[in-house]
Amino acid sequence: MRTLPTMLRKELLETWRTYRFLILAVVFLIFALMSPLIAKLTPDIMKMSFGKSLGIQLPKPTSVDSWTQFYKNIGQMGIFVVAIMFSGTMSQELGKGTLVNLVTKGLPRWVVVCSKYISLLLQWVVILTASFLVTWGYTAYYFPDHKTPHIFLGFLPLLVFGMFFLAVILFGSTLARNSYSGLLFTILVMGVLYLVNLFKAAQNYNPVTLIGDNMAITQGTKTLVKIAPGMAVAVAAAVLLVIGAVAVLNRQKL
Amino acid sequence: MDDILTVQHVQKSFGSKHVLQDVDFSIPTGSIFGFVGENGAGKTTTMRMILGLEKPDKGTITVGGEPVTFGATKTNRITGYLPDVPAFYDYMTPAEYLDLCARITGIDQRRQRIAKMLDLVGLKPDKHRIRGFSRGMKQRLGIAQALLNEPRLLICDEPTSALDPAGRNEFLELLASLRGQVTVLFSTHILSDVERISDRVGILHDGRLQACDTLVNLHKQFGRSQIVLTLADGATAQRCRQALAPLAVQAQGTIVTVTYHGDYAATVSQILRALVAANIAPVSLQQENPTLEQIFLEVIGDAHAAHDA
Repeated sequence: MRTLPTMLRKELLETWRTYRFLILAVVFLIFALMSPLIAKLTPDIMKMSFGKSLGIQLPKPTSVDSWTQFYKNIGQMGIFVVAIMFSGTMSQELGKGTLVNLVTKGLPRWVVVCSKYISLLLQWVVILTASFLVTWGYTAYYFPDHKTPHIFLGFLPLLVFGMFFLAVILFGSTLARNSYSGLLFTILVMGVLYLVNLFKAAQNYNPVTLIGDNMAITQGTKTLVKIAPGMAVAVAAAVLLVIGAVAVLNRQKL
Repeated sequence: MDDILTVQHVQKSFGSKHVLQDVDFSIPTGSIFGFVGENGAGKTTTMRMILGLEKPDKGTITVGGEPVTFGATKTNRITGYLPDVPAFYDYMTPAEYLDLCARITGIDQRRQRIAKMLDLVGLKPDKHRIRGFSRGMKQRLGIAQALLNEPRLLICDEPTSALDPAGRNEFLELLASLRGQVTVLFSTHILSDVERISDRVGILHDGRLQACDTLVNLHKQFGRSQIVLTLADGATAQRCRQALAPLAVQAQGTIVTVTYHGDYAATVSQILRALVAANIAPVSLQQENPTLEQIFLEVIGDAHAAHDA
């Protein structure tokens, strides 16, 4: 237990000095700035590219367009970047043998897993919240309308999804000896979840609903309670995956 | 407690490859134990098992009287380990890395201890990150982290193979200076290193420890003393070989080697008498003490002979 803060410090130093945090923060801030901007400029871009030949009248963009862009960017590109940046978190240590010195000094292996998970979670919450706030500010400035009443409720599932997604990345990374096979595991899991999502009955239990229904919740057409099972599944799966990662690491050769 | 480390009937195979058949030895407290064997003989595997990084298929290992268990073994409190290629976090400075290690082992007064260690291995406590380190510098940092928790048993896996001659020399001096404070187990295939600093030697071959004793006893048991004669030319050397025929003689070019057991003086006088009788005048005559290399080859040769029989 005593070693957990030590290892957490090491993880945070690592993500800072290897520029992972910075890259991720920049990418997410770009998404955050782009979302309202793209929503605002889309009609102009259309007009410019089609000129007068565009027969139909384009609807005026609203805050709905801005938030749709945000959730589309983060829920697809964003999490993919997260997966790429973090898929080496454990596998690199296993591949290089950097844990040998620490474990032979009495570092419990579960501390390695937990410190990594906490560090990933912290980065996710900080970066995601920051980009959310940026998008929120810009959206309020560009589109002062009332079409998106439940901004926070719509954001909450995305935050919770991170808990699940980071646990998947960490588990995959613990199985692997290089970051690419770790990434493969994450992609496979997401692939399976999207396949499961084809069955309507399973949708509300599926963690991917947490990055799919954000707009419906933001606009108020779906309630948070509806996807509560999905959130519960995500949190439970995250816990199981972290425990699983400890079990795997306990058997891994360092 | 006489033996800080005991390894009893340990077996290990990877798949169908039996790396260790039956390894059995112990290291008395305070000694410097040289662990010798060819590449792939299983030295690293044995060491990793002592540290609980590898699980033996059979057999038991105890360190300081406590059994070693796979995973997080408590015996690691009293051991220090220098892997053959130590891996560090590139983005840290040596002082930061040692601080991380010190926090994990729970050392009091970290600052002084780290400064002392850096000084001992000759690294500067500056802002240079490990990223830019040469292998020799990494090896130094490796020994610093291994000695950080003042271990009672220091395990070094081929510590000198990456170092330049000067660095190797320094490193051996450092190990030798630990004599009495720390028990050292170090593996190598550089036999002169073992001869220089260790007092006990284990020779690992074919998955077994073929010999394990003090250097003196190994010399007695396996060492064959030799007398080397240099002659004027090849023809004389051949005549010399014939003249000394009753002894174990080998001729190669102008060099004639006589291998003997027992008393040097008796053998020399026998040789000289034979040479005078045959009217041969050697250019030089020299006593050669057996080297560990010869002992090593002898031990391995014996193992092969036993295997073939």
